[in-house]
Amino acid sequence: MAELDEHLVAPARLRLMTMLTAVSEAEFATVREALDVSDSVLSKHLGALEEVGYVRRHKGVHRGRRTTWISLTPRGRQALIAHVTALQELIDEIPLERTAPPRRSGARR
Amino acid sequence: MESKEAPLTGAEASVALLDAEVARARLADHIVTPSWFFASMGVAIAVQIATTAAGLGDDAPWLIAGGLAVFASVAGIQLARFRRVNGVWLGGFASRVVLGTATAASVSYTVALAAAIWAAYGGHWWLVALWSAVGGAGYALSGGRWMRTYRGDPAAHARGESLAWLALATAAALSGLALLVLNA
Repeated sequence: MAELDEHLVAPARLRLMTMLTAVSEAEFATVREALDVSDSVLSKHLGALEEVGYVRRHKGVHRGRRTTWISLTPRGRQALIAHVTALQELIDEIPLERTAPPRRSGARR
Repeated sequence: MESKEAPLTGAEASVALLDAEVARARLADHIVTPSWFFASMGVAIAVQIATTAAGLGDDAPWLIAGGLAVFASVAGIQLARFRRVNGVWLGGFASRVVLGTATAASVSYTVALAAAIWAAYGGHWWLVALWSAVGGAGYALSGGRWMRTYRGDPAAHARGESLAWLALATAAALSGLALLVLNA
């Protein structure tokens, strides 16, 4: 049975990592707006995920100003796949009469 | 904040997963192509096909180089605009849509280029123009199709080919073109 990843249990981190699977890299403000969190909250999550090697940050320019670009690392992608598998196993344990919200394909990647 | 002290229930896991997938779908839905993107790419490809065919037919390598420069300029500008407008970089978009590695784009491009070159060697310039336009339109339509496919399953399509693969394909294409020029 797959185990939940302690670094990805916070909903904002799962959202952040899942969102990053939709792009090669994203600019800090774009991610912050999509997650609807403050700069400091996003920085804190990114710092924690970068520390375990799940995301990578690099400095760049966007619309003429210096900013940070964020991307998933291969290790982060693998961790997300394992975490989502564990979540799906938990969902599968829900008795049939308590129907879960419909699942969409693709979160595995 | 970490999980060990409070394991998730199945219902919480379901909500968390659905929430994450909605966030990803929302991000993908907000990614747009810059204005005149497909039209400009279609025209750039049509120009590149026409100049390659004409350059080979008329033994004018400078025409071929000019067409490639037009395509490279338009592609570079549009990719920079895409990144600026969306605040994201999409490898799949760059390779499949702009560099035309999607199946429909590469097949339509190859057929149109071969037909235009054949027409140029025969001196049928109206056919060169026609096949160039067909190639440009096919490329643009394939790009639009890829965007719809991407929005349907962003995680599966976000990443493009590796840089090594693209370098190999570019080298092969340029070698083929060089052979055509040398044998013209």
